[in-house]
Amino acid sequence: MHGTAAAGAASNPETGAPRRLFLSAQGIAKAYGGVKALNGVSLALREGEVHGLVGANGAGKSTLIKILAGLTAADAGRITIDGAPVTIAAPHEASALGMSFIHQELAFIPEMSVIENIMLGLPKPSRLGFIDWRAIARDIAPIAERVGLNTPFHAKARSLSTAEAWLVNICRALVRKSRLLVMDEPTASLSAREAERLLAIVEDLSRSGVAVLYVSHRLDEILRLCHSVTAFRDGESVADLSGDALTRERLMEAIVGGNVETMPAEARANHDRGTVALKVRGLARAPMVRGVDFELHHGEVLGIGGLVGAGRSELARLVYGADRPHEGAMELAGKPYAPSSPTAAVRSGLGFVPEERRSEGLILTKSVAFNMQLANLANIVRSPALPLIDTRKRRSQTEAIVKSLAVKTPDTETTVGRLSGGNQQKVVIGRWLLRRPNILILDEPTRGVDVGARGEIHRLIREIAAEGMAVMVISSEPDELPDLCDRILVMVEGRITRELTGEDMTRNAIVSASYASAA
Amino acid sequence: MTDISTSHRRLSPGTKAGLAFFARYATILGLIAMIVAFSLLSPRAFPTLLNFTNVLNQASLAIIIASGLTMAVIVGELDLSVGFAASLHGILVTGLIVATGLPIPVAILVVLAVGALVGLVNGLVVTKLKVNSVIATLGIGTILTGLAFAYSAGVPIVSGVPEAFLEISLGRWLWGIPNNIVVMAVVVVALWVLVERTSIGQEIQAVGGNPAAARLAGISVDRIKILGFVISGMCAALTGILLASRLGSGTASAADGYLLTAFAAVFLGSATLRDGEFHILGTVIGALVIAVGFNGLNIFGAPTFSQYMLQGGILIVAVGLSSLGRSIAER
Repeated sequence: MHGTAAAGAASNPETGAPRRLFLSAQGIAKAYGGVKALNGVSLALREGEVHGLVGANGAGKSTLIKILAGLTAADAGRITIDGAPVTIAAPHEASALGMSFIHQELAFIPEMSVIENIMLGLPKPSRLGFIDWRAIARDIAPIAERVGLNTPFHAKARSLSTAEAWLVNICRALVRKSRLLVMDEPTASLSAREAERLLAIVEDLSRSGVAVLYVSHRLDEILRLCHSVTAFRDGESVADLSGDALTRERLMEAIVGGNVETMPAEARANHDRGTVALKVRGLARAPMVRGVDFELHHGEVLGIGGLVGAGRSELARLVYGADRPHEGAMELAGKPYAPSSPTAAVRSGLGFVPEERRSEGLILTKSVAFNMQLANLANIVRSPALPLIDTRKRRSQTEAIVKSLAVKTPDTETTVGRLSGGNQQKVVIGRWLLRRPNILILDEPTRGVDVGARGEIHRLIREIAAEGMAVMVISSEPDELPDLCDRILVMVEGRITRELTGEDMTRNAIVSASYASAA
Repeated sequence: MTDISTSHRRLSPGTKAGLAFFARYATILGLIAMIVAFSLLSPRAFPTLLNFTNVLNQASLAIIIASGLTMAVIVGELDLSVGFAASLHGILVTGLIVATGLPIPVAILVVLAVGALVGLVNGLVVTKLKVNSVIATLGIGTILTGLAFAYSAGVPIVSGVPEAFLEISLGRWLWGIPNNIVVMAVVVVALWVLVERTSIGQEIQAVGGNPAAARLAGISVDRIKILGFVISGMCAALTGILLASRLGSGTASAADGYLLTAFAAVFLGSATLRDGEFHILGTVIGALVIAVGFNGLNIFGAPTFSQYMLQGGILIVAVGLSSLGRSIAER
C-alpha cells in the first residue's frame, strides 16, 4: 500500500514524502426505496491530507458519510482502512477504526459540561472508583489550547456558540486520537472570523498527520484548504482533482455538469418599488434586537446582512409573531400589526421559511404533498363548513408546484425526509408559493444548498417579488445578497447600521459594515 | 429523530424489508393466528357468530376509549386520565338519573359535556401551564377519582337505575346489531375521517410530527393539542356511560382498568400497517387483538391473573413493535 502513493498530489508538500493511503472506498452503492443515492462512488483518503468532497445537494455526499460513520449500510462496495477490508456496522465501530464525524447538526448533550461532552463515551481515568476529572482536565488542556477552545471546562454545553461547539467536537476527535476527521459544512453557520479560525485548525490538523474529509459548498474554502478534491454528481464520482487541475472552473463544471445557472440581469432590472407592505418602528427584544426601524415594500427583495448573532433571525421571529417584542410597533399596509403567534402572522398575510429546515421547516416523516399543503389547507377543502380534503385538488396543486420548482422527488407522496437538502428547501418554499402571502421572510434560504438549486431558488425569489410580493431575505453569505436584493440592510449587534442600495450593494460593503461597530 | 443517535446493526435490504413487513403486519398476523388457534382448539365455543358478536360487543367500549386516547397521542401527548375519567362519568351519569332525576338523554349530554371539560382542563394544563402531559393527566385523573368517591360517598349507585338506561347498552336497535357496536362504529368512522380526510386532521398530524415546524407553518399548536385532549375526554365519557349502562350501576373504580387496555391497543395499533405512527384503524385492530386474547382465555377457563399477564405482556410487545417500526422507517 506504500506503493500506491505515487501521484504528485499524494506527496506531502513540506517533506516531499509520499502520503500513505488511509482509507479507500470503492464502488459504493446505496438506494433508498427506489431512489439511487449512490451509484458506485469511489474515494481515496491519505494520511494528513485535507480532501474536499463537493457536489450538489442530493449528489450523495451525506449518504457516503453516513455509510462511513456506520449510520447506514451500503448496498454494494468495498471499504479498506490501511489496506485491510473493513465493515462498519455501527457508529462505535467507525470510531474504533479511527474516524470522527462532525455533522452539520452538532450532537452534544446540552445539560452536560464541556468536559463531560468531550469525554462522552470515552474511558475515563478514575481514582478510588470516582472519575478523576482533574486528571482529565490536565490531559485535555493542551488539546483545548491547540484548537483555541477558551470556554471553561465546567460550562454547560448549551451555553456554547456554534463555533465553540465545533471546537468541542474537534477536541473530542483529538482526544480519541482520530486519524480521520469528517467535517460536514463546518463553516455554514460560522461568522467569517470564526470560519477563518476553523480553517487554520484544519490546516494544523493536516500538518500533524490527521486526514480531514472536508465537505463544503464554499469553493473558496475548498480551493484554499484541500490537497485534493472528489466531486460527486447524481450519485457518481465525476472528478478527482488535485494540483494544477484543482481550479474553481473545473470544480464548478464537475458539480453542475457544465451548466451554471446565473441570475438573468433583466429579471431585476429597474422595476418600481411598490407601496409599503410592512413598517417597523423601534422594534426591540433585548439582548438580540435593540431598536430596529425599516420599511419593506411590495415587489422588492430586501436583504438583511450581517454576522451570525447580529440579531437577524431574532428580528424575523418578531415580525413573524414567533416571539413578542418588548418595545416598538409594526404596521401592515398602514394598519397596526402585533402578531400574537405565527398563526396570527400567517392570517395577516405573512410567510416564513426558517433557517433550520429539518427541525423547524418540515415534518420529516410526512410526504411532500403533506408538507407543501400545510399552510394551504383552507384552499383544498371541499367547503369551509365541512373541511374534507379534496384529494384531487391537493394532488394537482402539489404536482404543479413540484414541477415549477423542479423538486427532485419520485412523486408527491414520497416522505420528505428522504429528499436531499436542496429539495427539502424547495418544499418549504413551495408551501408559501401555494399560500401566496403578501410578505415572505426567508432565513438563510440557500444554506447547505448546491450551486444549481441556489440559482433556481434565487430566480424564484425574484419572480415572486416581481409579482408584487414583499420579500425579506436573511443571509450570512455576503456574496448572496448583492446578486439577489434590491436593497440591503446590515445589522450589527441588534441594530440596523447601514442601508445599501444600487451600486453600493457589494460584498465588501456588506462585510465592512458588518464589522463596522462590532470591533 | 437524529441519525447520530440511532445505532443499529448492518442489515441487508432483504432483511430490512422483512423486518419492516414483520413490524407492520405482526399484529394482524397475530390476530389471525389467535383466531385460527382458538377455532381449532375450541371449535364449538369460539368460531360462532354469537361469540364473535359477543367479543366485538365487549371490545366496543375499549375501542371507543382507545380511539379517544389515540387522538391525544397523535398530537404528541399522553392522556393517563381516561380510565379514571370513565369511572367518574359512570357514577355521574347514574347519579344524575337516579338521584337528580334528569331524563336519560339530558344526563348523557351533561356527562359528555363534563368529559369534554375534563379534556379541556387536561389540554389547558399541558399547553398553557406547560406541565408534562404524563404528570398533568395523572394528577387530573387522581383528582377525578377523588371526585368520583366524593360524588358517590364511596358507595356504588346500584338501586333505582331505570330499565331504559340499561337498554342503551343491552339493546339492539338497528338491524339486530348490539348498540355498543353501532356507537363504536360511529365513533371510529368519525375519528378516522377527522384524522385522515379533513384539514384539521392534517394539522393534527403535523403537530404530532413536528410541533415546531407546525407552529411556523401557521398552525395553532396549542389549540390542536387541546382538541386532542377534548376528544379523548369525550370518548372516555362515552365509555363510562356505556359501562354504567352495561353494569347497571355506577362504581368509583369500575373503568380504571380501561387505561391499560387503551394504551396497549394504541401502541399495538401504532405498529400496525404503519411504521410506528399512531392511527385510528391501528388502534381498532390493537383493541381487537386484546379482546380476542381475553375471550380465548375465558373460553379455556384461564385464571384471572393470566389476563393481567397477557395485558402487560401485550403492552410491552406493542411498544417494542412500535419503536421497531419507527427505527426501520428512519434508516
